[in-house]
Amino acid sequence: MKHVHAFAHVIELVAGRPLFIGASQDVAEGKLVEAALRDSEREWRLIVDTIPGLVATLTPAGEVEAVNKKVLEYCGRTVEQLKQWGTSDTVHPEDLPRVIEVITRSMASGDPYEIEERIRRFDGVYRCFQVRGLPLRDSNGHIVRWYVLLTDIDDRKRAEAQLAGEKRLLEMVASSCPLTDVLTALCNFVEVTSADCYCGVYLIDWSGPRFRNGAVPSLPATFNDPIDGLPVRREIGPCGQAALFKQQVIVTDLETDPLWQESAIRPLALAHGIRSHWSTPIYARDGHVLGTFAIFHREPASPTQIQQDLIAQVTHIASIAIERALSEAALKRSEVFLAEAQHLSRVGSFAWRVATNEITWSEQLYRIFEFDPRVMVTLDLIGARVHPEDLALLHEMIDRARSAASDFEYEHRLLMPDGSVKHLHLIAHGTTNESGEVEYIGATQDVTQRRLAEEALDKARSELAHVTRVMSLGALTASIAHEVNQPLSGIITNASTCLRMLDADPPNVDGARETVRRTLRDGNRASDVITRLRALFGKQSATTAPVDLNEATREVIALSLSDLQRNRVIVRTDLADDLPPVTGDRVQLQQVILNLLLNASDAMGDVDDRPRQVVIRTERDEGDRVRLTVQDAGIGFDPQTVQRLFDAFYTTKSGGMGIGLSVSRSIIESHHGRLWAAPNDGAGATFAFSIAHAGEGAAGGAP
Amino acid sequence: MKRPLVAVVDDDESVRESLPDLLREVGFAVHAFASAEEFLASGDIGRTKCLILDVAMPGMSGPDLQQELARRRQAIPIVFITAHQDDTVRPRLLAQGAVECLFKPFSETALLAALDTALRAA
Repeated sequence: MKHVHAFAHVIELVAGRPLFIGASQDVAEGKLVEAALRDSEREWRLIVDTIPGLVATLTPAGEVEAVNKKVLEYCGRTVEQLKQWGTSDTVHPEDLPRVIEVITRSMASGDPYEIEERIRRFDGVYRCFQVRGLPLRDSNGHIVRWYVLLTDIDDRKRAEAQLAGEKRLLEMVASSCPLTDVLTALCNFVEVTSADCYCGVYLIDWSGPRFRNGAVPSLPATFNDPIDGLPVRREIGPCGQAALFKQQVIVTDLETDPLWQESAIRPLALAHGIRSHWSTPIYARDGHVLGTFAIFHREPASPTQIQQDLIAQVTHIASIAIERALSEAALKRSEVFLAEAQHLSRVGSFAWRVATNEITWSEQLYRIFEFDPRVMVTLDLIGARVHPEDLALLHEMIDRARSAASDFEYEHRLLMPDGSVKHLHLIAHGTTNESGEVEYIGATQDVTQRRLAEEALDKARSELAHVTRVMSLGALTASIAHEVNQPLSGIITNASTCLRMLDADPPNVDGARETVRRTLRDGNRASDVITRLRALFGKQSATTAPVDLNEATREVIALSLSDLQRNRVIVRTDLADDLPPVTGDRVQLQQVILNLLLNASDAMGDVDDRPRQVVIRTERDEGDRVRLTVQDAGIGFDPQTVQRLFDAFYTTKSGGMGIGLSVSRSIIESHHGRLWAAPNDGAGATFAFSIAHAGEGAAGGAP
Repeated sequence: MKRPLVAVVDDDESVRESLPDLLREVGFAVHAFASAEEFLASGDIGRTKCLILDVAMPGMSGPDLQQELARRRQAIPIVFITAHQDDTVRPRLLAQGAVECLFKPFSETALLAALDTALRAA
């Protein structure tokens, strides 16, 4: 209450009597006091008139009693006029009912009041005031008068509103609202804050460069559509110049301004009743122009300082919004790109904070594990999916990863709910952050397809090997049968003849004797076949002994003759008479010869225009060596592939395994020899090997 | 009565030695040849009543000779003999007109039955 008293002392009552405090004082004392009071009042009036507040007093009934000078100056009205405030436009009509209600209630209750209201200035502009009313009571507690302080809070309110608007816009930017929404809100905000204008944000697509309407919410399509897509050129209008020259362009009146008579915007604007056009560039952080912010008025206008401040503020916000939208679009593109790449390559990525067990998974990893993307990934959850046989591996990996930040890589399987198995390949890189926490970043690839393909290939390979074995077993059986059937046939025929001769009358004993002799010979021949087979296929370990290459060759030919005949191959031999024996494993060397011979036969399988002839030749070679060559008239080979011929699994035959030549070469090399191939001058190819003969001290012999 | 001429064509020497003796014992005249080419070169083609022919031979094979004779319109009944017990060979040869195909070693009975069929076909 103390300061209320102070007001009681200081108020100069323009339209009434001076206020006296203490009515019981005598006159003389009163005069003295009066004089002192006058001085004091004059002093206080000075202070009152300089404080930025407006002051008034009301009667207990709420009538205006008196006001200070500031009130008169502000309102530009007399006290008498102000007394009519309840029926005039002194208080903004929108605020008046509320103000009357509050004051009436306060007069009745005697409680102080506080209210915000717009009060008309002398020039007709309403400004916002905070109005506080306090009652002065006498010693009996009755209200003598109300003191009212009016504080101009218009600037503060505007600043608050502007701040709130900016805050709302920034919130929209931060919460990733669509750019159009943000820019529309931005325009609306400026239109509300700075009355009687239209706003627009024009973006620039520098690839054109062309203008794109970012947001022009309050102007019709007939105005907006022709602007969208206009090239960024000065002739277009203020926005073109603002964008190209990086300067604010203020056109107070488009109709009269000589600079813009030819501009594209002028007829359009005038047709829509627009006279003034201000355009301000919106800059990116690096200084390039993202777009322009335009304000249009229906009357010629130039910006006030307040409007300039507002423009500066909103172009800044627009720049943040646009840049953010651009970078989000770029981020989204790269995210989509990454997700697509992960999807294609079946690679998912993850991060794992060891201390907190915080695990972050990429979308693709969820897809690989077939987990709902909303679930939180834990080690237990992962463990539930890992193939039971690989769980120990997982735990070992986790333990190792916990102990130190190191890089690791391992393969494991997943057992999916439908019973299928996935093969994963995981690579992780360990790092330690500033606070010493270990964190892993890694990638997991679903290699199931690759694994399955490998397994299928292995299976096909082993099946093929099996088929090849079965086929060669079948061929071998047929070969043995043929070799044995020939002499058996002779034996049976001879025996039949013998019986007939002995049954004859008289018995032909000489003839019978001859048939028995042949039977014996054929029997021995059959026995020889068996011996040869045992020598060739018996399970003998590699032995090193002198080998007659001619004899070994003849045996191979004899054994494979039926095969060769079936393929209508003619074998010519040219075996050197004086060939010294070589040192080595007879069976292994015969396998090589057989392989070369059968290859030669196969190479001529499709030859019909020339004899299918194979020439096998043995001869002495340089440096105490013996050479065996197998020359065919087959399809030959491309000289460029000669090295590959000896690679395992390289084959030109549809049914071949491509093992023969590689095994042959390793056999010959184990005999310290050399196996090679050369195309013939004519058709076909020649394969040959050369190994040391068992001469005096010659290096040789299988390991 | 003149003995019917049977030609034996086989590259295997023991067949060429044993089979003619048996056939002579049962009353045929026999000429043996080591290859198809040798047979074609001989003057026997027109006189031969039955051809006992090995399937697999170096150079011209038995079926090759069969085709060559067909080409020359020489309808000599053919009894094939082979040491390859290949079950697919026999039906093929029979389909191409052979009287019989015997797998070595064959019995005297089977041989004589085949010859009987061949001579009656001739």
